[in-house]
Order: sequence, then structure tokens, then C-alpha cells
Amino acid sequence: MSKIALAVAAAFAASLTVSGGALAQEKTVVIAPFGVKTGVLRLFGINSEAAIKAAVEEVNKAGGVKLADGSKAKMVASDYLDDRCNAEEGIAVVRRIVGTDALVAVGPTCSNVAEPLYGILQKKVDDAKDTGLQFPILTDVAIKVGLAKISEWSFRNVPSELTMYSSLYYWLKSTRPELKTVYGGVEEDFAHSRASWHVVMKDRANANGYQVLGESKWLLNDTNFSTQVREIKKANPDILSIAAHPFTTCGLLKEMQRQGVKPKLVVGLTSTSSLETMQACPKQAEGMIIPSSFAPVNKEAKFAAEQTAKQKGSADLHSMASWENVFIIKEAMERAGLSGRKDSASIQADRRKLRDALAATKTTKGLLGVSKRTEDREADKPYVFVHGKGGVWTVLHNPL
Amino acid sequence: MFDFIQAVLDGILFGTIYSLIGIGFTLVFGVMHKINMAYAAASIGAAYIGLVSASAMKAASAWVVFGCSLVAGGVLGFLVYLICFHLIPLRNENATLMSTVGMLLLADELISHATTGAPQNYPATLEDVMFRFGEMSMRGDLVVVFGVSVVCTAALLLLLYRTRLGLATRAVAQQPIAAQLCGMRVAQVNTLTFVITGVLGGIAGALICSAVGSLSILLTGPLTVKGLIVTVIGGLGSVPGAIVAGLLVGGLENVFQHFRGVTERDMYVMLLLFAFLIFRPGGIFAKGQGRD
Amino acid sequence: MEFYFGLAQTIGIHTLLGLSAYIILLTGQMSLAQAAFYAIGAYVSGMLTVLWGWHIVPAMFAGAALGAAAAAAVGFPALRVKGLMLVIATLAFGEGVRLFFFNFDYQVQKGNIKVGPLGGEGFRQIRYFPENGWTSDEVMLFVWVFVILVMAMIWWFDRSRYGSVLRAVGDDELAAQSVGINLTAVKVSAMAIGGAVAGLAGSLYAHYTTHIEHLAFGVLQSVFAIAYPIIGGLASVFGTLAAVIFVQGFLVEGLRFLGDWRNLLFGLLIIVAMVVRPNGFLDGQMLRNFKRWFGIRSRNA
Repeated sequence: MSKIALAVAAAFAASLTVSGGALAQEKTVVIAPFGVKTGVLRLFGINSEAAIKAAVEEVNKAGGVKLADGSKAKMVASDYLDDRCNAEEGIAVVRRIVGTDALVAVGPTCSNVAEPLYGILQKKVDDAKDTGLQFPILTDVAIKVGLAKISEWSFRNVPSELTMYSSLYYWLKSTRPELKTVYGGVEEDFAHSRASWHVVMKDRANANGYQVLGESKWLLNDTNFSTQVREIKKANPDILSIAAHPFTTCGLLKEMQRQGVKPKLVVGLTSTSSLETMQACPKQAEGMIIPSSFAPVNKEAKFAAEQTAKQKGSADLHSMASWENVFIIKEAMERAGLSGRKDSASIQADRRKLRDALAATKTTKGLLGVSKRTEDREADKPYVFVHGKGGVWTVLHNPL
Repeated sequence: MFDFIQAVLDGILFGTIYSLIGIGFTLVFGVMHKINMAYAAASIGAAYIGLVSASAMKAASAWVVFGCSLVAGGVLGFLVYLICFHLIPLRNENATLMSTVGMLLLADELISHATTGAPQNYPATLEDVMFRFGEMSMRGDLVVVFGVSVVCTAALLLLLYRTRLGLATRAVAQQPIAAQLCGMRVAQVNTLTFVITGVLGGIAGALICSAVGSLSILLTGPLTVKGLIVTVIGGLGSVPGAIVAGLLVGGLENVFQHFRGVTERDMYVMLLLFAFLIFRPGGIFAKGQGRD
Repeated sequence: MEFYFGLAQTIGIHTLLGLSAYIILLTGQMSLAQAAFYAIGAYVSGMLTVLWGWHIVPAMFAGAALGAAAAAAVGFPALRVKGLMLVIATLAFGEGVRLFFFNFDYQVQKGNIKVGPLGGEGFRQIRYFPENGWTSDEVMLFVWVFVILVMAMIWWFDRSRYGSVLRAVGDDELAAQSVGINLTAVKVSAMAIGGAVAGLAGSLYAHYTTHIEHLAFGVLQSVFAIAYPIIGGLASVFGTLAAVIFVQGFLVEGLRFLGDWRNLLFGLLIIVAMVVRPNGFLDGQMLRNFKRWFGIRSRNA
């Protein structure tokens, strides 16, 4: 028994040691990706990890990152860390990353991890009284409206739902003038989807002159949608605007099919424009329109998707944001003029330089075109409207 | 008023799903006085194995999927018994409870690794069939689920009260030591109980996934909680009680949803359950004093 | 170091959560409402420090007091039932409380932003520690002061009459009652102490993560609260600590070098732990061994 106990204790002690920076001969700059690779959202982590690996390879193929002294450093992505979509684990992951030589973290997947994470960062730079972490995070996936303003060290490259739905309703108004009414369907207990309807879709539909008839609500892991579909049937809207993730979106669409409820048009949540929906309900998602910040519409986008596929990931609006983040960071690093030295003072100085460079970034070059950076450290990304057609998402309209 | 009746009807009908999962929990509890927390997760796992093996055989019709799930369920039931119960002394109640929690987490993660977490399209039994009575309507596939749970109950009752195995099972449930002294192989009876509930779980998992329309590990948590609730309301160990309790919970959910909205629905269901347990601890079919 | 300080905070908070269930388990009761008391502590103390500018210590005691009150309130009626019935009754109560917070809005204008809990969107910016210049080692020490106090309290219970009474009720209720022990008083007081400790843990959790929402207080959190003492063993408070270190330190953080295998091993190793040590890491035998090795003479040896 005691031998086993000793062995366990030894393994335990060994496993807890955080590996320091690699004893690299060549100069490196390290970025640290993290997110979810567990449970329902596992696919998100797999795709983001693949995209980041592929993008880092591209950066290095093009010569790496130029440092302040003119020399070139190789970009390195550390191992993708899984936070299980859990706030405490997300915080632990970032604290772990802060202890390495990484200059910036890319993640997380979940908004309920991003929100506490931004909370433990220093709120305002140079506020000596605030002991929050001084470490830049450039988020690729967590999309809940208005989070990056929490800390001056938090940045996001996620699509602005406000802009996208505004534009979508505007476009629908001009192309389908016969549609007059909008009804909402919202996954009420999930922070992101809840905000998407109440703060974004409802407001934007109103602003574009639609009559909003009301909304029907359900919960994240609900399975019975009969009542909700009856409510939709009763409201008889022209447009049904669904703010929910693939599992319940598909559940709702299947129940609508059963009850024979067919609104003239169904609009979906931007993160539903992924492979998941097409695995769960390809038939029912036929014709559903979703604004998405990614579609393989041009040469660069196709190239990024191919490279990601080589790393065994699929390209969607989330993983391609991860891809873009690598290039945004590379560009900001070169502008910041990093020392690239590995003593802790230089690492901290480089992090600060990188943060300032990210904060000073006005536009970034994305896969669909130029995206603007806002005062709140959020992105205003280009987007397209996709719809379900024959079991895949195809581009319906490119508003840009 | 019409809306209300329809909502309750929908709820009761959907409650058949809770009944189906509750039967398995209650059977294990009835025989071994143990909770198998991994039951719902293993059922969904069986449904997934059924789906994969049916598509491997290029025969993805709902009924082939069900056949495969049923077999897979039996095997998984056996494995759960072996790992979580056989290796741990049965008097360590807390240890078996925790080992099944571990199994629940493991099963979830195995499905997540196999599907990358994404929901999987699941074939429907009676797609788009709706029974209509004037303005009212009922989902055809849920009527099938209800039928299956009644048939399963009948088969279980026959097994328990009309066969030697059933006699042994009941004997073990009442007095394990006396049963052992009479020469019954307690471990064998317990194993068989797990295989039978596993088979039931396979059927339940497949039917539930097809009624929901997709298979996802999002189902395991709520089904575990609902299964436990149904077991308790129905009276621990009572199979017909579990069926009635499932329908009751389904109906009540929609009653509260109708009057108080979806966000408060579960809050009232839970508070009602709490009150119910305290004032009627033996379940709906209690004969006075509550059983432990 | 930042990482280790943070991990020590997490371990401390979870140890408190585990101890809150430990004391209830001693009386032979199993409560799945611990996450509810944890949530009450988190929301109450968060609102006190953020909305009304309280100091953290009184805010934590307020959270603990309300946790205890809620636990006593649920304890009285719930203790009419036993075993699985109690498990489900407390689970129902716990979910009821979580869903209450899901529907709970109370926001106040502060400067140019609104702060306070906002239903499903959660309660953000509970930044007492960083705003008041606490470094992470100070926060760690602060957390551990509470952990040590609570552990000392329960350890002391274990050698006092009260502890023997708790265990007597847990071992055989009928026998305990027949020697004149007031079962209700014992069970409800254990519940209330458990609720208070969970409330403390929740207060620390809220200020550790800075953002709380109802999804963090679900059934799984309650299951872990009882898992710690069960995996660790009910012979000593140190068992719970060992189990938290095993789960949070080893399974969650320690196995990261295994990459994708980590999340699979999580459930599997919990099963293995129960198979190898069905009475928990620290059962009576193990405890006696330890005492012998370290030459500590036990009073009741």
C-alpha cells in the first residue's frame, strides 16, 4: 500500500510541475491557445487547435516574427489547454499560462469562462492599485455581447452580432418586402443566446421596421418543444428568429416539422452555422438563414480551410477567428517591437508592448476582408449570409 | 383553456420518456437498494453504439438501430455492474454511489470523444405522424414510447412474478442474506438485474433519442435527474409507480410552463417535489410509512 | 508562482465545500443541496461587497449566516425522510435555489455601468480582491485561514462530545435515540453548520472567479461536494483535504500532460479510487497506521 501511495505521490508531484520555457537555441515567441476539448463543446476546441497550429505553421513558413533588433523569431503555439467550460478551470489555465514565457493567450471558447477571466485581469492598465493579472488575452470564440470592455487587457476577434443582425434584417427588408413580422425563439438560460435575442435580434428587428410579435423561450437542455411550437404557430410570424445552439435549434425545427409549422423564413444564431447543425438536422435546417463571419468564399478563406483540414479540424466562423488571431498577433508583435528575451522582466515588458500594440490596432486583415477594431477592444468583422442547402451551409448573399 | 389542456397532454405524453428511464433506476433500487447514477448515461451510450453499428451494417432504419441498442444496453449494463458494483463491497453504499458517478462522467466523455460532442441525427420511429382529435393532437412517436414502456412493464412484472428468476430476484431484494442461505446465487441475480435493466436502458436510450431527434450528451444530466425523481415519486422499487410518476412529472412541467413561463417552470417542479417528498415520503403508492 | 497560488485557492475553496458535506455525512445524511448554500454565500457576499461596499470579512459572515439559515430551514422538514428520499429532496431544494438565482435580477447604477446579478446573464465584476490591491499570495493566505479554522473546528468536534453524538447518530439512529440523543437537534445543527461552511466557501468562490452565474451551482457541484468526503474517507477531516487535492490538484490540473486522455481518466480514476479504497483514502485503519508511524497516541486507542 505504502509503495503505491509513494508512487502516486511522486507521480502527483511530477505532474504538478509547470514546465518552464523550452531550452530553445533559436529565438521564439510563444502564444498560448486554450478553450474547451471536453463534453458537448469538444468540437470547438479541436477546430480551434487545428486552425491555430495551421496558422502558426504559415507564419513560420513566411519567416516568423520580426523582433525589435531586426532578427527573426519562430512563433510557437504551446499545447492547447482544456478549461472544460468551467470558470475556475479557465482561471487556473490562464494563471498557468502567465507562469510560462507565453506573451498572449488565445481563447476561451465559452462566454461563462471569458467573463470571469476578464474579471481577474487588471481593469485599467497602469492602475498600480489594481492587482489583477497583466496579461493580454485575444478571444476567438466566446461571443456574448459586450465583454471585452471589462478589462483593458482583454481583446476579442469575434463577430459583432449587433452589426450582423442589423444588416441581415436590413437586407431582408429590401429583398423580401412581403415579410412583416418577427417572432423570437430563445434558449433562455444560456448567457450568450439569451443576450443574442433580448439585446440583439429583437432590437435590430424593431429598428428595421419589423413588427416583433413576441418570443418563445426554452432552456439549454430542453427536449420537449411542443408548447413552444404551438406558441409560434399561434403567433404565425413571417420570420422566426432563433437564438439557440444546435441541439435545441434542431429539436425545435423537428417539432415544427411534426406540427407542420412553416414560417416563411427562419433566421438562426450565428454560432449555429457550423457542422454540428448539419450533423443533427440537415433536412430541417434547409433554408435557415444565418449571418456568419466565415465562409470559404475567396482564395484565402479556402486556403485557411484546407490548411486547417490538414490538421484535422474543420473551418467555421469560430476556428477561422482562431486562425485570424494568429496573424493579428503576428502583425501586432512586429509593430510592438518585442525584445524576445526570456527573463521574466522582459517577458512582462513584451506582454505590455503587445497589449499596447493590440489596443492601437485600428483594422485587421481577416479572411473575408478588413475588419475594424472598436474602442471597446471588440471587432467589427465582415460577414456573409449563409443558408442551409442540401446539407451544407452555402453563401446566400455577400453584403460587402 | 384549450391551450392548457393541450399543453398538459403534450407534457404527459413527453413524460413517457421519463417513465421509461425511471423504470431502470427503480428496478436496480428495488433489487439491490443501490442507485446507479450511470444508468441514463449508459443508456445514451447504448443508443449511440446502436446508431453506429446499424450504420456500419448499412441499415440505418429505426428498428435495426433499436435492436442494436438493446444488445449494447445489455452489455453495458453488465459492464457497469462488473466495474462499479462487483469490485466494491456492497455494504459500502457511498463507494458504489461514487463509482457510478465516475462511470457517468466516463460515459459522457467517451461519447464526447466519439462524436466530438456534436449532436447526432437519430432516426425517428414514426416521423411526422400526428394523431388528431379535432383541435387536439398527439405525437405518434411518443405514443409508441408509451406503448413500449407499458409492454416493458408488463414483461418485467411477468418476469418478476411468474418465473423462478423473478422469485429469486424478489427474494434477494427482500432478504439478501436469507436468500443466500437458501442457496441462491446473489451475485448472479444482481448481474442479471443489471443486464435486464441495461437492455431496458438500451431500448429507452434509443427511443428517447429518436423522440428528441438527436443524440447528445446534453441528454444524460437531465435524464439522470429526472430518472431519480421519477423513481422517488413512484415509490422506490415500484415499476408501475415509475410509469405514473413519469407522466405526472411531464404533465406538471407543462402546467407550470403554461402558467409561469419556462424560466420558472423547473423551480416550481422542484419545490413541489420537495414538498411532496416531505409529506408523502413513500411515493404515490405509499402505504403510510415511507420506506428507506 | 501565480499558478500555484491560484491552485491553492481553488483547493482551499473546494475543501471548505467538501467539509460542509462531511459534517452532514457524519450523521449518516447525504445532502445534495450543498451547491445551493454555496450559491447563497456567493450571491449574498458578492452583492454586499459590490453593491454596498462592505468589507469582505463581514460580507462572508453574512453569506455564511444566510447559508446556515437556509440549511436549517431545509433541514427541519427534510429530515423527516432518510436515504435516497433525502438525497432527492435536497436535490430538489438545491435546484430550486439555483433556479431562483436564474430568475433573480437586482441591479444598481454605479458610475456609468449597472452592477449586480442579472438572472441568466450572471453577476459580473465581483472584483474585491484586485480592486483593493490584494495579491494572489495574500488571497491564498486569506482563503487558507478559513480552511484551517473550519478544519480545526471540525477536528475539535471529533474529539468532543458533539462529534461523538454526530457519529452515534450516523452509526445507528435508533440506538442513539434510545440513549436520549435528540435526533432532530443533532441533524439540524449538522445541516446548519454544513450550510454555514458552504456559504463561506461560496463567498470565497464568488470573489475568486469575479463572475458567478446559476449554471455554476448545478447538481454536479453538489455531487462533488459529497464526493470529496466520500473519496477521502469519513474518519478524519484530512481525508476531505486529500480528496480535494486528488481531484483538483491531480485529476484536473496534474494530468494536463496527458492531453486528451485527461478528461477520460477523470471519471475512470474516480472509479479506481473507490475500488481500491472503498472506505475512502483515510479510513479508520489508515488513520491508526498514520498515528503509529508518527508516534501520535490516540486518546481512544
